[in-house]
Amino acid sequence: MKQTQGSSLTGYVTILVKGTSPELFFQKCIGEGLTVWNVRKTAEDECEGNIKLHDVRHVRQLKRGTDFKISFLNKKGYPFLFRRFIRKRHVVISLFISILLILFLSNIIWEVKISGVPKEIEEKISKQLDSYGIHPGSWIFSLESPNAIQQKLVEDVPELLWVGVDQKGTTFFLEGVEKIIVKEEEKPGPRNLIATKKGVIKKMYVSKGVPQVGVNDYVEPGDLLVSGIINNSEEEDEDDKKQPDLVAAAGEITATTWYEVNVTVPLKGTFEILTGNQKKQYFFSIGDFRLPVWGFRKPEFENIHRETNEENLKFFKWELPIKAGETILREKINTKSNRTKEEAVQAGINQAINELKLQLGPKAQIISQKVLHEAIDNGKVKLNLYLNVEEDIAKVQPISQGD
Amino acid sequence: MKKLHQRIRPWLIKYLALPSDVLLGLPRITIIGQIHVYIENHQGLATYSDNELKLKTNKGYIQITGSSFVLKMMLPEEILLEGKIKEVKFVPE
Repeated sequence: MKQTQGSSLTGYVTILVKGTSPELFFQKCIGEGLTVWNVRKTAEDECEGNIKLHDVRHVRQLKRGTDFKISFLNKKGYPFLFRRFIRKRHVVISLFISILLILFLSNIIWEVKISGVPKEIEEKISKQLDSYGIHPGSWIFSLESPNAIQQKLVEDVPELLWVGVDQKGTTFFLEGVEKIIVKEEEKPGPRNLIATKKGVIKKMYVSKGVPQVGVNDYVEPGDLLVSGIINNSEEEDEDDKKQPDLVAAAGEITATTWYEVNVTVPLKGTFEILTGNQKKQYFFSIGDFRLPVWGFRKPEFENIHRETNEENLKFFKWELPIKAGETILREKINTKSNRTKEEAVQAGINQAINELKLQLGPKAQIISQKVLHEAIDNGKVKLNLYLNVEEDIAKVQPISQGD
Repeated sequence: MKKLHQRIRPWLIKYLALPSDVLLGLPRITIIGQIHVYIENHQGLATYSDNELKLKTNKGYIQITGSSFVLKMMLPEEILLEGKIKEVKFVPE
Protein backbone atom coordinates (compact mmCIF):
# COMPACT_ATOMS: atom_id res chain seq x y z
CA MET A 1 0.00 0.00 0.00
CA LYS A 2 3.05 2.20 0.25
CA GLN A 3 2.67 3.06 -3.40
CA THR A 4 -0.76 4.56 -2.97
CA GLN A 5 0.15 6.53 0.12
CA GLY A 6 0.17 10.24 -0.35
CA SER A 7 -1.84 9.96 -3.52
CA SER A 8 -4.57 12.07 -1.99
CA LEU A 9 -1.97 14.78 -1.58
CA THR A 10 -0.74 14.64 -5.14
CA GLY A 11 -4.18 13.87 -6.52
CA TYR A 12 -5.66 10.83 -8.17
CA VAL A 13 -8.29 10.07 -10.77
CA THR A 14 -10.75 7.23 -11.10
CA ILE A 15 -10.98 6.11 -14.69
CA LEU A 16 -13.59 3.92 -16.32
CA VAL A 17 -12.37 1.72 -19.14
CA LYS A 18 -14.84 0.36 -21.66
CA GLY A 19 -14.09 -2.31 -24.22
CA THR A 20 -13.60 -6.04 -24.48
CA SER A 21 -11.66 -7.42 -21.48
CA PRO A 22 -10.88 -3.97 -20.07
CA GLU A 23 -8.67 -5.44 -17.34
CA LEU A 24 -6.04 -5.92 -19.97
CA PHE A 25 -5.74 -2.19 -20.26
CA PHE A 26 -4.75 -2.03 -16.62
CA GLN A 27 -2.32 -4.85 -17.25
CA LYS A 28 -0.84 -2.67 -19.93
CA CYS A 29 -0.60 0.20 -17.50
CA ILE A 30 1.32 -1.74 -14.88
CA GLY A 31 3.50 -3.10 -17.58
CA GLU A 32 4.54 0.51 -18.15
CA GLY A 33 5.31 0.90 -14.47
CA LEU A 34 2.26 2.88 -13.41
CA THR A 35 0.55 2.30 -10.11
CA VAL A 36 -3.06 1.24 -10.31
CA TRP A 37 -5.30 0.51 -7.36
CA ASN A 38 -8.85 -0.28 -6.38
CA VAL A 39 -9.53 -1.96 -9.67
CA ARG A 40 -13.09 -3.18 -9.86
CA LYS A 41 -15.01 -4.80 -12.62
CA THR A 42 -18.44 -3.30 -12.74
CA ALA A 43 -19.72 -5.04 -15.85
CA GLU A 44 -18.52 -7.47 -18.51
CA ASP A 45 -17.02 -4.69 -20.61
CA GLU A 46 -16.44 -2.06 -17.93
CA CYS A 47 -13.67 -1.76 -15.41
CA GLU A 48 -12.75 1.11 -13.16
CA GLY A 49 -9.59 1.87 -11.25
CA ASN A 50 -7.56 4.67 -9.70
CA ILE A 51 -4.47 6.17 -11.22
CA LYS A 52 -2.24 8.97 -10.09
CA LEU A 53 -2.83 12.45 -11.45
CA HIS A 54 0.58 12.79 -13.05
CA ASP A 55 0.09 9.47 -14.82
CA VAL A 56 -2.99 10.67 -16.69
CA ARG A 57 -1.03 11.83 -19.71
CA HIS A 58 0.76 8.50 -19.85
CA VAL A 59 -2.55 6.65 -19.74
CA ARG A 60 -3.88 8.74 -22.62
CA GLN A 61 -0.82 7.85 -24.62
CA LEU A 62 -1.38 4.16 -23.88
CA LYS A 63 -4.98 4.41 -24.98
CA ARG A 64 -4.00 5.56 -28.42
CA GLY A 65 -4.17 2.78 -30.91
CA THR A 66 -6.46 0.59 -28.82
CA ASP A 67 -10.23 0.28 -28.91
CA PHE A 68 -10.67 1.05 -25.22
CA LYS A 69 -12.68 4.04 -24.24
CA ILE A 70 -11.65 5.91 -21.17
CA SER A 71 -13.76 8.28 -19.14
CA PHE A 72 -12.79 10.06 -15.98
CA LEU A 73 -15.15 9.57 -13.08
CA ASN A 74 -13.73 11.11 -9.94
CA LYS A 75 -11.09 13.65 -9.30
CA LYS A 76 -9.80 13.56 -5.81
CA GLY A 77 -6.97 14.98 -3.79
CA TYR A 78 -5.36 18.20 -2.85
CA PRO A 79 -4.64 19.63 -6.34
CA PHE A 80 -8.31 19.43 -7.29
CA LEU A 81 -9.37 20.89 -3.97
CA PHE A 82 -6.90 23.67 -4.46
CA ARG A 83 -8.10 24.38 -7.98
CA ARG A 84 -11.71 24.44 -6.81
CA PHE A 85 -10.74 26.78 -4.01
CA ILE A 86 -8.81 29.12 -6.31
CA ARG A 87 -11.83 29.33 -8.56
CA LYS A 88 -13.81 30.95 -5.71
CA ARG A 89 -12.30 34.38 -6.01
CA HIS A 90 -14.04 36.04 -3.08
CA VAL A 91 -12.98 33.32 -0.64
CA VAL A 92 -9.38 33.70 -1.71
CA ILE A 93 -9.55 37.46 -1.42
CA SER A 94 -11.14 37.33 2.02
CA LEU A 95 -8.54 34.85 3.21
CA PHE A 96 -5.80 37.08 1.92
CA ILE A 97 -7.32 40.12 3.59
CA SER A 98 -7.78 38.34 6.88
CA ILE A 99 -4.16 37.25 6.91
CA LEU A 100 -3.14 40.80 6.16
CA LEU A 101 -5.40 42.02 8.95
CA ILE A 102 -3.90 39.61 11.46
CA LEU A 103 -0.44 40.70 10.39
CA PHE A 104 -1.45 44.33 10.73
CA LEU A 105 -3.13 43.92 14.10
CA SER A 106 -0.34 41.89 15.60
CA ASN A 107 2.11 44.62 14.72
CA ILE A 108 0.48 47.48 16.57
CA ILE A 109 0.45 48.18 20.26
CA TRP A 110 -2.81 47.30 21.89
CA GLU A 111 -2.18 48.28 25.44
CA VAL A 112 0.32 50.07 27.62
CA LYS A 113 0.10 49.00 31.22
CA ILE A 114 1.80 51.03 33.89
CA SER A 115 1.99 49.71 37.40
CA GLY A 116 3.69 50.41 40.67
CA VAL A 117 3.43 54.20 40.63
CA PRO A 118 0.79 56.67 41.80
CA LYS A 119 -1.79 58.07 39.39
CA GLU A 120 -0.14 61.39 38.64
CA ILE A 121 3.21 59.81 37.77
CA GLU A 122 1.38 57.24 35.69
CA GLU A 123 -0.14 60.15 33.80
CA LYS A 124 3.28 61.72 33.34
CA ILE A 125 4.79 58.49 32.11
CA SER A 126 2.00 57.91 29.63
CA LYS A 127 2.39 61.47 28.33
CA GLN A 128 6.11 60.94 27.96
CA LEU A 129 5.49 57.64 26.20
CA ASP A 130 3.07 59.42 23.89
CA SER A 131 5.82 61.79 22.92
CA TYR A 132 8.06 58.82 22.08
CA GLY A 133 5.24 57.42 19.97
CA ILE A 134 4.31 54.61 22.29
CA HIS A 135 0.56 54.49 22.65
CA PRO A 136 -2.18 52.05 21.75
CA GLY A 137 -2.42 52.01 17.97
CA SER A 138 1.19 52.71 17.02
CA TRP A 139 3.43 50.36 15.08
CA ILE A 140 5.59 48.05 17.12
CA PHE A 141 8.44 47.86 14.63
CA SER A 142 8.86 51.62 14.55
CA LEU A 143 9.73 51.68 18.24
CA GLU A 144 13.07 51.58 19.94
CA SER A 145 14.13 48.64 22.03
CA PRO A 146 12.68 48.38 25.54
CA ASN A 147 16.08 49.09 27.03
CA ALA A 148 16.38 52.42 25.21
CA ILE A 149 12.87 53.38 26.22
CA GLN A 150 13.72 52.51 29.79
CA GLN A 151 16.74 54.78 29.82
CA LYS A 152 14.91 57.63 28.15
CA LEU A 153 12.02 57.40 30.56
CA VAL A 154 14.23 57.51 33.62
CA GLU A 155 15.98 60.57 32.19
CA ASP A 156 12.82 62.40 31.22
CA VAL A 157 10.65 61.68 34.23
CA PRO A 158 12.57 62.93 37.25
CA GLU A 159 10.15 61.32 39.70
CA LEU A 160 11.16 57.88 38.53
CA LEU A 161 13.92 56.01 40.27
CA TRP A 162 13.69 53.01 37.99
CA VAL A 163 11.36 51.74 35.34
CA GLY A 164 11.13 48.31 33.80
CA VAL A 165 9.84 48.12 30.26
CA ASP A 166 8.69 44.77 29.07
CA GLN A 167 7.06 43.98 25.78
CA LYS A 168 4.85 40.94 25.65
CA GLY A 169 3.29 40.53 22.25
CA THR A 170 1.15 43.55 21.62
CA THR A 171 1.21 44.81 25.19
CA PHE A 172 3.77 47.00 26.89
CA PHE A 173 4.18 46.45 30.59
CA LEU A 174 5.85 49.21 32.53
CA GLU A 175 6.73 48.86 36.13
CA GLY A 176 7.97 51.96 37.84
CA VAL A 177 9.52 52.75 41.16
CA GLU A 178 8.91 56.23 42.42
CA LYS A 179 11.64 58.41 43.74
CA ILE A 180 10.73 59.80 47.10
CA ILE A 181 11.73 63.40 47.04
CA VAL A 182 12.16 64.72 50.53
CA LYS A 183 11.43 68.40 50.63
CA GLU A 184 13.52 70.55 52.83
CA GLU A 185 11.58 71.93 55.69
CA GLU A 186 10.45 75.42 55.06
CA LYS A 187 12.22 78.02 57.04
CA PRO A 188 9.67 79.55 59.35
CA GLY A 189 9.36 83.28 59.36
CA PRO A 190 9.96 85.39 62.42
CA ARG A 191 7.55 84.52 65.17
CA ASN A 192 6.79 84.63 68.87
CA LEU A 193 5.50 81.96 71.17
CA ILE A 194 2.40 82.83 73.18
CA ALA A 195 0.33 80.97 75.76
CA THR A 196 -2.87 79.22 74.83
CA LYS A 197 -4.12 78.49 78.31
CA LYS A 198 -3.79 79.88 81.72
CA GLY A 199 -1.41 78.01 83.93
CA VAL A 200 1.72 78.01 86.01
CA ILE A 201 4.93 77.45 84.12
CA LYS A 202 6.71 74.35 85.21
CA LYS A 203 9.48 73.81 82.71
CA MET A 204 10.95 75.86 79.91
CA TYR A 205 13.10 74.78 77.06
CA VAL A 206 13.81 77.59 74.59
CA SER A 207 15.88 76.72 71.54
CA LYS A 208 15.49 80.07 69.80
CA GLY A 209 14.32 83.43 70.95
CA VAL A 210 14.30 85.42 74.15
CA PRO A 211 12.25 84.00 77.03
CA GLN A 212 9.90 86.57 78.54
CA VAL A 213 8.62 84.55 81.48
CA GLY A 214 10.24 82.39 84.11
CA VAL A 215 9.45 79.13 85.85
CA ASN A 216 6.55 79.36 88.35
CA ASP A 217 5.12 82.44 86.59
CA TYR A 218 1.37 82.51 86.13
CA VAL A 219 0.33 83.14 82.53
CA GLU A 220 -2.97 83.98 80.93
CA PRO A 221 -3.94 82.99 77.38
CA GLY A 222 -2.26 85.30 74.87
CA ASP A 223 0.67 86.20 77.09
CA LEU A 224 4.04 86.41 75.37
CA LEU A 225 6.22 83.48 76.37
CA VAL A 226 9.21 83.65 74.04
CA SER A 227 9.95 86.68 71.91
CA GLY A 228 11.35 86.43 68.44
CA ILE A 229 12.81 89.93 68.54
CA ILE A 230 16.40 90.06 69.64
CA ASN A 231 17.62 93.54 70.45
CA ASN A 232 21.32 93.95 69.93
CA SER A 233 21.24 97.68 70.39
CA GLU A 234 21.76 97.49 74.16
CA GLU A 235 25.17 96.03 73.82
CA GLU A 236 26.36 98.28 71.04
CA ASP A 237 26.19 101.94 70.52
CA GLU A 238 22.89 103.38 71.51
CA ASP A 239 23.23 106.16 69.00
CA ASP A 240 22.60 104.40 65.78
CA LYS A 241 19.34 102.54 66.16
CA LYS A 242 19.74 99.23 64.47
CA GLN A 243 16.87 97.22 63.19
CA PRO A 244 16.21 94.48 65.72
CA ASP A 245 17.06 90.94 64.62
CA LEU A 246 14.05 88.78 64.00
CA VAL A 247 14.14 85.05 64.64
CA ALA A 248 11.65 82.27 64.64
CA ALA A 249 11.17 81.53 68.29
CA ALA A 250 11.05 77.85 69.10
CA GLY A 251 10.80 75.96 72.28
CA GLU A 252 8.68 73.93 74.60
CA ILE A 253 6.91 75.55 77.53
CA THR A 254 5.34 73.07 79.88
CA ALA A 255 2.85 74.46 82.36
CA THR A 256 0.52 73.09 84.98
CA THR A 257 -3.08 73.67 84.01
CA TRP A 258 -6.31 72.66 85.71
CA TYR A 259 -9.66 71.47 84.59
CA GLU A 260 -13.00 70.95 86.25
CA VAL A 261 -14.98 68.05 84.90
CA ASN A 262 -18.50 66.83 85.62
CA VAL A 263 -19.24 63.10 85.20
CA THR A 264 -22.32 61.00 85.87
CA VAL A 265 -22.01 57.25 86.38
CA PRO A 266 -25.02 54.92 86.66
CA LEU A 267 -24.95 52.44 89.52
CA LYS A 268 -26.74 49.76 87.48
CA GLY A 269 -25.54 48.74 84.09
CA THR A 270 -26.43 46.13 81.50
CA PHE A 271 -24.14 44.94 78.81
CA GLU A 272 -24.03 42.21 76.20
CA ILE A 273 -21.47 39.49 75.85
CA LEU A 274 -21.10 37.32 72.76
CA THR A 275 -20.56 33.68 73.59
CA GLY A 276 -18.84 32.80 70.34
CA ASN A 277 -21.57 30.50 69.06
CA GLN A 278 -22.51 31.62 65.61
CA LYS A 279 -24.37 30.57 62.51
CA LYS A 280 -24.33 31.92 58.98
CA GLN A 281 -27.26 32.35 56.64
CA TYR A 282 -26.96 33.23 52.99
CA PHE A 283 -29.57 34.90 50.82
CA PHE A 284 -30.27 36.78 47.64
CA SER A 285 -32.38 39.89 47.84
CA ILE A 286 -34.23 42.01 45.32
CA GLY A 287 -35.49 45.19 46.88
CA ASP A 288 -37.15 44.15 50.15
CA PHE A 289 -37.69 40.54 49.17
CA ARG A 290 -35.20 38.03 50.52
CA LEU A 291 -34.65 34.60 49.11
CA PRO A 292 -32.75 32.42 51.55
CA VAL A 293 -30.21 30.16 49.94
CA TRP A 294 -28.46 28.41 52.78
CA GLY A 295 -28.98 28.08 56.49
CA PHE A 296 -32.74 27.64 56.92
CA ARG A 297 -32.79 26.22 60.42
CA LYS A 298 -33.31 28.49 63.32
CA PRO A 299 -30.36 28.65 65.66
CA GLU A 300 -30.64 26.92 69.02
CA PHE A 301 -29.87 30.07 70.96
CA GLU A 302 -32.46 32.67 71.88
CA ASN A 303 -30.67 35.95 72.23
CA ILE A 304 -29.30 36.81 68.85
CA HIS A 305 -27.00 39.53 67.64
CA ARG A 306 -27.48 39.89 63.91
CA GLU A 307 -24.92 41.16 61.49
CA THR A 308 -25.83 41.47 57.81
CA ASN A 309 -23.49 42.08 54.93
CA GLU A 310 -24.87 42.66 51.47
CA GLU A 311 -23.21 43.15 48.15
CA ASN A 312 -24.58 43.93 44.72
CA LEU A 313 -24.08 41.34 42.06
CA LYS A 314 -22.33 42.47 38.95
CA PHE A 315 -22.75 41.52 35.33
CA PHE A 316 -19.50 42.55 33.64
CA LYS A 317 -19.40 46.15 34.79
CA TRP A 318 -23.07 46.78 35.39
CA GLU A 319 -24.52 46.39 38.82
CA LEU A 320 -27.63 44.28 39.02
CA PRO A 321 -30.51 45.09 41.36
CA ILE A 322 -29.94 41.71 42.97
CA LYS A 323 -27.93 41.57 46.12
CA ALA A 324 -26.15 38.62 47.62
CA GLY A 325 -25.68 38.68 51.32
CA GLU A 326 -24.98 36.78 54.46
CA THR A 327 -26.32 37.15 57.94
CA ILE A 328 -24.20 36.13 60.87
CA LEU A 329 -26.24 35.17 63.90
CA ARG A 330 -24.27 35.30 67.10
CA GLU A 331 -25.40 34.16 70.49
CA LYS A 332 -25.34 36.88 73.12
CA ILE A 333 -25.85 37.02 76.84
CA ASN A 334 -27.20 40.04 78.61
CA THR A 335 -25.46 40.67 81.88
CA LYS A 336 -26.49 43.11 84.51
CA SER A 337 -24.10 44.59 86.94
CA ASN A 338 -24.63 46.47 90.17
CA ARG A 339 -21.88 48.75 91.32
CA THR A 340 -21.19 50.04 94.73
CA LYS A 341 -20.73 53.72 95.25
CA GLU A 342 -16.96 53.42 95.53
CA GLU A 343 -16.73 51.46 92.31
CA ALA A 344 -18.92 54.00 90.56
CA VAL A 345 -16.72 56.86 91.77
CA GLN A 346 -13.57 55.07 90.57
CA ALA A 347 -15.20 54.37 87.20
CA GLY A 348 -16.21 58.02 86.95
CA ILE A 349 -12.66 59.24 87.65
CA ASN A 350 -11.22 56.84 85.07
CA GLN A 351 -13.78 57.96 82.57
CA ALA A 352 -12.98 61.62 83.17
CA ILE A 353 -9.23 61.03 82.86
CA ASN A 354 -9.65 59.11 79.63
CA GLU A 355 -11.86 61.77 78.14
CA LEU A 356 -9.46 64.53 79.06
CA LYS A 357 -6.50 62.63 77.68
CA LEU A 358 -8.34 62.20 74.43
CA GLN A 359 -8.99 65.93 74.34
CA LEU A 360 -5.45 67.08 75.16
CA GLY A 361 -3.43 64.60 73.15
CA PRO A 362 -0.75 62.12 74.11
CA LYS A 363 1.81 64.62 75.38
CA ALA A 364 -0.31 65.89 78.22
CA GLN A 365 0.20 64.25 81.59
CA ILE A 366 -2.40 64.16 84.31
CA ILE A 367 -0.71 64.68 87.62
CA SER A 368 -3.48 64.60 90.17
CA GLN A 369 -7.21 64.46 90.45
CA LYS A 370 -9.51 65.40 93.24
CA VAL A 371 -13.20 64.84 93.78
CA LEU A 372 -14.68 68.19 94.67
CA HIS A 373 -18.25 67.09 95.03
CA GLU A 374 -20.20 63.87 94.72
CA ALA A 375 -23.94 63.18 94.90
CA ILE A 376 -26.23 60.20 94.32
CA ASP A 377 -29.31 61.01 92.34
CA ASN A 378 -31.78 58.60 90.67
CA GLY A 379 -29.37 55.68 90.84
CA LYS A 380 -26.58 57.72 89.33
CA VAL A 381 -23.45 59.12 90.90
CA LYS A 382 -22.69 62.69 89.92
CA LEU A 383 -19.08 63.74 90.32
CA ASN A 384 -17.38 67.07 90.13
CA LEU A 385 -13.69 66.51 89.53
CA TYR A 386 -10.67 68.75 89.63
CA LEU A 387 -7.73 67.64 87.52
CA ASN A 388 -4.17 68.92 87.38
CA VAL A 389 -2.44 68.51 84.04
CA GLU A 390 1.05 69.21 82.74
CA GLU A 391 1.07 70.17 79.07
CA ASP A 392 2.74 72.28 76.42
CA ILE A 393 0.91 75.59 76.20
CA ALA A 394 3.05 77.35 73.63
CA LYS A 395 1.53 78.55 70.35
CA VAL A 396 3.20 80.12 67.38
CA GLN A 397 2.36 83.75 66.55
CA PRO A 398 4.06 85.26 63.53
CA ILE A 399 5.56 88.74 63.93
CA SER A 400 4.20 91.14 61.39
CA GLN A 401 7.06 93.17 60.02
CA GLY A 402 4.83 96.07 59.23
CA ASP A 403 5.96 97.06 55.78
CA MET B 1 26.35 -24.50 -18.82
CA LYS B 2 22.62 -23.99 -18.40
CA LYS B 3 22.18 -27.48 -17.05
CA LEU B 4 24.70 -26.91 -14.34
CA HIS B 5 22.94 -23.70 -13.55
CA GLN B 6 19.63 -25.45 -13.12
CA ARG B 7 21.10 -28.21 -11.07
CA ILE B 8 22.86 -25.95 -8.69
CA ARG B 9 19.72 -24.05 -7.71
CA PRO B 10 17.87 -26.82 -5.85
CA TRP B 11 21.14 -27.58 -4.17
CA LEU B 12 21.46 -23.99 -2.99
CA ILE B 13 17.93 -24.03 -1.65
CA LYS B 14 18.49 -27.26 0.16
CA TYR B 15 21.83 -26.60 1.76
CA LEU B 16 22.00 -22.86 2.11
CA ALA B 17 18.29 -22.36 2.94
CA LEU B 18 17.86 -19.60 0.39
CA PRO B 19 14.25 -18.59 -0.44
CA SER B 20 12.91 -20.74 -3.21
CA ASP B 21 10.73 -18.09 -4.83
CA VAL B 22 13.68 -15.88 -5.54
CA LEU B 23 15.88 -18.56 -6.95
CA LEU B 24 13.32 -20.41 -8.99
CA GLY B 25 11.26 -17.39 -10.08
CA LEU B 26 8.09 -18.89 -8.65
CA PRO B 27 5.16 -16.82 -7.45
CA ARG B 28 4.83 -16.18 -3.73
CA ILE B 29 1.25 -16.20 -2.60
CA THR B 30 0.22 -14.88 0.78
CA ILE B 31 -3.36 -15.47 1.83
CA ILE B 32 -4.86 -13.67 4.78
CA GLY B 33 -7.93 -15.54 5.94
CA GLN B 34 -10.57 -15.47 3.28
CA ILE B 35 -10.28 -11.81 2.47
CA HIS B 36 -6.85 -11.02 1.02
CA VAL B 37 -4.55 -12.69 -1.46
CA TYR B 38 -1.19 -11.19 -2.12
CA ILE B 39 0.62 -12.51 -5.15
CA GLU B 40 4.19 -11.56 -5.88
CA ASN B 41 6.33 -12.51 -8.79
CA HIS B 42 3.55 -13.07 -11.29
CA GLN B 43 3.89 -12.35 -14.94
CA GLY B 44 0.75 -10.57 -15.85
CA LEU B 45 -2.99 -10.59 -15.69
CA ALA B 46 -4.80 -13.07 -17.88
CA THR B 47 -8.43 -12.56 -16.91
CA TYR B 48 -10.10 -10.56 -14.25
CA SER B 49 -13.74 -10.28 -13.34
CA ASP B 50 -15.87 -9.88 -10.26
CA ASN B 51 -15.49 -13.52 -9.27
CA GLU B 52 -12.34 -14.72 -10.98
CA LEU B 53 -8.71 -13.74 -11.28
CA LYS B 54 -6.23 -15.56 -13.48
CA LEU B 55 -2.58 -14.69 -13.36
CA LYS B 56 0.22 -15.88 -15.56
CA THR B 57 3.35 -17.30 -13.95
CA ASN B 58 6.43 -18.88 -15.49
CA LYS B 59 4.83 -22.33 -15.13
CA GLY B 60 1.19 -22.06 -16.01
CA TYR B 61 -1.53 -19.98 -14.36
CA ILE B 62 -2.87 -19.28 -10.92
CA GLN B 63 -6.63 -19.15 -10.83
CA ILE B 64 -8.42 -17.62 -7.87
CA THR B 65 -12.18 -17.78 -7.63
CA GLY B 66 -14.57 -16.21 -5.17
CA SER B 67 -16.86 -13.22 -5.17
CA SER B 68 -16.80 -9.41 -5.05
CA PHE B 69 -13.20 -9.13 -6.12
CA VAL B 70 -11.38 -5.81 -6.07
CA LEU B 71 -7.77 -5.37 -7.08
CA LYS B 72 -6.64 -3.26 -4.18
CA MET B 73 -3.28 -2.62 -5.75
CA MET B 74 -1.57 -3.43 -9.01
CA LEU B 75 2.16 -3.18 -9.47
CA PRO B 76 4.33 -4.65 -12.25
CA GLU B 77 4.95 -7.90 -10.36
CA GLU B 78 2.59 -7.75 -7.45
CA ILE B 79 -1.15 -7.85 -7.02
CA LEU B 80 -3.25 -7.48 -3.91
CA LEU B 81 -6.68 -8.97 -4.27
CA GLU B 82 -9.50 -8.26 -1.89
CA GLY B 83 -12.82 -10.03 -1.71
CA LYS B 84 -14.29 -13.31 -0.60
CA ILE B 85 -11.92 -16.06 -1.69
CA LYS B 86 -13.19 -19.52 -2.37
CA GLU B 87 -10.27 -21.35 -3.92
CA VAL B 88 -6.78 -20.95 -5.32
CA LYS B 89 -5.91 -23.28 -8.13
CA PHE B 90 -2.77 -23.92 -10.10
CA VAL B 91 -3.58 -24.53 -13.73
CA PRO B 92 -0.84 -26.06 -15.86
CA GLU B 93 -0.28 -24.69 -19.33
